[in-house]
Amino acid sequence: MGTGKMNMTASWPLWSLPALRRDVKPGVLSLFGAAVFLCSGLTAAGAASQHIEKHFAVHTRPVVVIHNVANGRIEVKSWKNAEVDVVASQASDKIGFDIEQAGDRIDVTANVLDTAAQPSELEASLQLTVPEETELQLKTETGLIYVEQVMGDMTLESVAGEVHLKEVSGYIIVRTTEGSLVCTQCAGKLDFKSISGGAQVLQPALTNVSLFTTSGNILFDGDFVRTGLYTMKSGKGLVEVRFSGNDSFDLKAQTAVGTVDNRAAAYLKPDSHGVKHLASKFTKGFFGTVGQGLAKVELSSYSGTIRILKRD
Amino acid sequence: MQCKDVEFVVEQEGLAPLPEAAQAHVATCSHCQGFVADLAAIVSVANELPAEVEPPARVWFSLQAQLKLEGIIKTPAVAARGARSPRWQGFSDLFGSRALAAATVGLLIVAAGVVQLRRPYEANVEPNGGIAVLPSQITFAKTAKVLNEQEIDINNMQLASTSPVDNSFRQNLQQIDDFIAVCERRLRAAPQDELAREYLSYAYQQKAELLSAMMDREGSIH
Repeated sequence: MGTGKMNMTASWPLWSLPALRRDVKPGVLSLFGAAVFLCSGLTAAGAASQHIEKHFAVHTRPVVVIHNVANGRIEVKSWKNAEVDVVASQASDKIGFDIEQAGDRIDVTANVLDTAAQPSELEASLQLTVPEETELQLKTETGLIYVEQVMGDMTLESVAGEVHLKEVSGYIIVRTTEGSLVCTQCAGKLDFKSISGGAQVLQPALTNVSLFTTSGNILFDGDFVRTGLYTMKSGKGLVEVRFSGNDSFDLKAQTAVGTVDNRAAAYLKPDSHGVKHLASKFTKGFFGTVGQGLAKVELSSYSGTIRILKRD
Repeated sequence: MQCKDVEFVVEQEGLAPLPEAAQAHVATCSHCQGFVADLAAIVSVANELPAEVEPPARVWFSLQAQLKLEGIIKTPAVAARGARSPRWQGFSDLFGSRALAAATVGLLIVAAGVVQLRRPYEANVEPNGGIAVLPSQITFAKTAKVLNEQEIDINNMQLASTSPVDNSFRQNLQQIDDFIAVCERRLRAAPQDELAREYLSYAYQQKAELLSAMMDREGSIH
């Protein structure tokens, strides 16, 4: 179904260049330096490196599934076209790509063909351009997962790679072993679990947030949507919440052996809903309400610090 | 008499007749009134069911074994149905020969759940003052045993691997093991620390998922 073509040059949709320039202008020099470095690396890698580009026509709301067992990044951006564009780059012929379409489902799998290959030979990156409304299931091991301006449910899994999301919405599930999440201007629902990875949620419009990490840090910097539910837990890390003066939420913060750094005591009132909260004698923490207490915020850390403060 | 005492009496002797002290407490406690009413409703429905054959002895055995495993009852295992403990006899007499085995099972599970939810921590104190193993600790012990066995297998498989992903898995597994040890130490010192128990539960869940991911990777790479 897809039209495949092979080429040896980097391929990135022309439509995205103005946006790319706008986004990276502050760091254009470092980007240029990185490009020079990468180009020299590609030259050194020899003729084994290659690009594969395929286009798949789809109807509404396709499902894109990527399983990248190699080392490398996965980038997903959106466009107005009813088409999925896949550009795969690989450092050697010791990796093989299986790319197939079944209706509106696109499957991309990077397989290791030679288990004796060196890590540097197992680098494989994927750049996808998808319709704005697309569902994603992305799985990688060490590379960055970057998704921008995609609306749809998505499950993103990584072992050691970071996950960066920008302006995405839907039911977002992120699982990492040690990779961290940076979620900027995300909307919908977010469910993050990691062992040592942290999570930063910046300027969100999320109605339901569940963040859990055993040893990573958590930062929530943004507004709480009224009626929203927010749970943030870290076993050993810092849990920090920065709220605005217009927010309205009930807060429950507790730690077993950690500390609570309440820098918002002036904004926290006793619970206004008549519910009697009883703190366990084994935990430290506090209950309180900001505004009318319309959203519900639960913070906990076993041995880390819980910090709550109002943004300037 | 307090709520937990009423629950203990019901667990020991069944619903009727409640001792005078228990009746006095129930009369003034809406919590216990609801508890007794729920149980009475279940018993009533069970008694309306048509007569059926006696449940086989193995049902009683498995029920008692399960309840013991969950720490809800602590009597010695019975050798035969006729040798059921008085506590068990009290419950079974509530229904007589008319009760269906399934209804009995359902009632007991509901009742056990209610009792356990209402007093999640009292169960660790034996009447003689000794400390029994908490239900959750039994669960964690079983989980820990299975996961530790899997961990040994995985470590043996990955012994020679130095890939960044395998290193990451190993380091994070060590972190989880360390965190489990910390939570378990805390729970030994303060068995009623609910937050520590919650984090210990999360840690075991994460360990299971991590071991599963490690096994999956072994399967896909080799």
